[in-house]
Amino acid sequence: MSETLFAKVWQRHQVTTTDEATLLYIDRHLVHEVTSPQAFEGLRLTGRKVRRPALTFATLDHNVPTDNQLDIREPMSRRQVEAMRKNCSDFGITLYDIGSGRQGIVHVIGPELGITLPGLTMVCGDSHTSTHGAFGALAFGIGTSEVEHVLATQTLWQGRRPKSLGIEVTGKLPPGLEPKDIILAVIRAIGTGGGTGHVIEFFGPAISALSMEGRMTICNMSIEAGARAGMIGPDDTTIEYITKVDRPFAPKGAALEAALADWKTLKTDDPSAFDRHVQIDASKLVPQVTWGTNPAMTIDVTGRIPDPAQVPFASREDAQRALEYMGLTPNTPVSDIAVDVVFIGSCTNGRIEDLRSAAKVFQGRKVAQGVRTLVVPGSEQVRHQAEAEGLDRIFNEAGAEWRQAGCSMCLAMNPDKLTPGQRAASTSNRNFEGRQGPGGRTHLVSPAMAAAAAVTGRFTDVRQLLGGSNGH
Amino acid sequence: MEPFVSHRGRVAVLDWTNVNTDLIIPARYLKRIERTGFGPLLFADKRYVAGGAPPIDNPDAKATLNADFPLNDSKYQGATILVVGRNFGCGSSREHAVWAVAQAGYRAVIAPGKGEGFADIFEGNAFNNGLLPIELSEEDWQQIVDAERAPGGAEVTVDLRDQSVTLHSAGKADRRFAFDVPESDRDRLLKGLDAIAETLLNNEDAIRAHEQQAAAWLTPQPA
Repeated sequence: MSETLFAKVWQRHQVTTTDEATLLYIDRHLVHEVTSPQAFEGLRLTGRKVRRPALTFATLDHNVPTDNQLDIREPMSRRQVEAMRKNCSDFGITLYDIGSGRQGIVHVIGPELGITLPGLTMVCGDSHTSTHGAFGALAFGIGTSEVEHVLATQTLWQGRRPKSLGIEVTGKLPPGLEPKDIILAVIRAIGTGGGTGHVIEFFGPAISALSMEGRMTICNMSIEAGARAGMIGPDDTTIEYITKVDRPFAPKGAALEAALADWKTLKTDDPSAFDRHVQIDASKLVPQVTWGTNPAMTIDVTGRIPDPAQVPFASREDAQRALEYMGLTPNTPVSDIAVDVVFIGSCTNGRIEDLRSAAKVFQGRKVAQGVRTLVVPGSEQVRHQAEAEGLDRIFNEAGAEWRQAGCSMCLAMNPDKLTPGQRAASTSNRNFEGRQGPGGRTHLVSPAMAAAAAVTGRFTDVRQLLGGSNGH
Repeated sequence: MEPFVSHRGRVAVLDWTNVNTDLIIPARYLKRIERTGFGPLLFADKRYVAGGAPPIDNPDAKATLNADFPLNDSKYQGATILVVGRNFGCGSSREHAVWAVAQAGYRAVIAPGKGEGFADIFEGNAFNNGLLPIELSEEDWQQIVDAERAPGGAEVTVDLRDQSVTLHSAGKADRRFAFDVPESDRDRLLKGLDAIAETLLNNEDAIRAHEQQAAAWLTPQPA
């Protein structure tokens, strides 16, 4: 029988299963300071231990200030960071603390450290755990009660096996277009609930052509389509990422040989195995910009703000509320919308490739008058690599702020946030009301598009800045 | 966990679609390391006037309500059944969203669209906290919304034993709607069981067997 990659990974992790529920073994558990304190407190109250501390890895990311990581001034943030340190020390868990050289956003450091591997089950109290599916792992976000369950038992209860949704991305991504444009176009096509109850597998020539960084961007935002997880079958690109650079926790020697033999079997046998199948042609895409308050509210940079009566997946009232919150009127060309802030970073787009593509746009240009631009590496490692490549000089010379690693302006939990009414071009993952600060207005874009907005002061088709043939 | 068997209560309606967990509980409140205190913070940036929500370290501080927010309607005070729009709880995995709904006094949440009413993670978190997530057909859901908006409002009885919602509204015969929840969640909720204790009691041998047959490469190689 033809099986999906997802079904194969699911099956080999079943500890027990009935028609309605499956107990899944969890191979890796990532932990950050925000969603774990109540779980550790639960363990203390019941006198339980962490079953396998060696499978659990922690870091600090959400609360960390990115101007000076060591200077956490907000008392509640400091208390949460201190709680993480104490919990890791009390329960014997490895913590990648600030200044360790390996600290960063949990979904950036997992792959960097070789914690993330094909065929694993991985969880974290964080919805963007879907990122790790880029390696062919089954990775998904869980709540704090589940974090406690995994800490205590190394397993997790799941209901019926989710359905599978195959998203085939055909064609070749045109110059100036990025993985972020692919995933925004996917969410635009299927809606924020389009993946509910499903695990998405992305495949096709436009996916195979992507680097691991690009694949992570795509799997990262699977959750924004409501999917339980996003996955991409491992191939030579995956294996090269894991083996070519020193990844401390990746298998080596005989263990690596055994792993490689196993990873070859990790693929969907035939697309007919998917419960649903959707096709997107990458060669027809133009840069995407969100206009509203969820990631399905997306249009082409060459388009205009829609009529609220004609917004897919939203009632007229919902669309009207989104327009009002965003301070936009129908029929306005996207390229007329000016920005106050540009944020380049996050678990979606805070990796080295993202910074390289932003740098290409900043090179030889200046940030527009009055625009505040933050460039925030996703980890200390990414920061070091970017500096080794001289990208920091390009950002600084352009007038952008080159900062330290953390979640930064993706969510308003650290000093980097929007003030009410401010409008941002952001490479993060959620344009929800207040996500980047109460009253803030978020437009999601690719790193290249964010840089284009920074240097022109408004949304600009980045293909016009990159030269060469842009089709316009 | 507090068991859920049956519950009768007044209905409050917030029929927006795609209500995300950032809206349910803004991220800044996630700095709290306690499991409690989230009730007054439910929908904080909508429920209170702009800039008027309680501070992170003092959820019970006096705050000025936003009269335009539907759930602030005086007729909803004391309601224990929250009726919401499709894809409720999408976005972040934060369980704090469920804690906020439950601690604000709601025992059940009713959404339209079987399999589409709730985002997956929110639904799982709700079961783990004794907050019953109920998905009804669009038609049944609409009947509850219409009844609540008629003079006199509406009450419902949710019975998890026979998986039914009974709508009580003034001047009309009771109407009964069926819903489904996974058997394992239903059983755990009815008895108020501790999931971790149950897992270890019934599955320790199977977990150990799984660990013993695992390939060597599955264990992280020491740095």
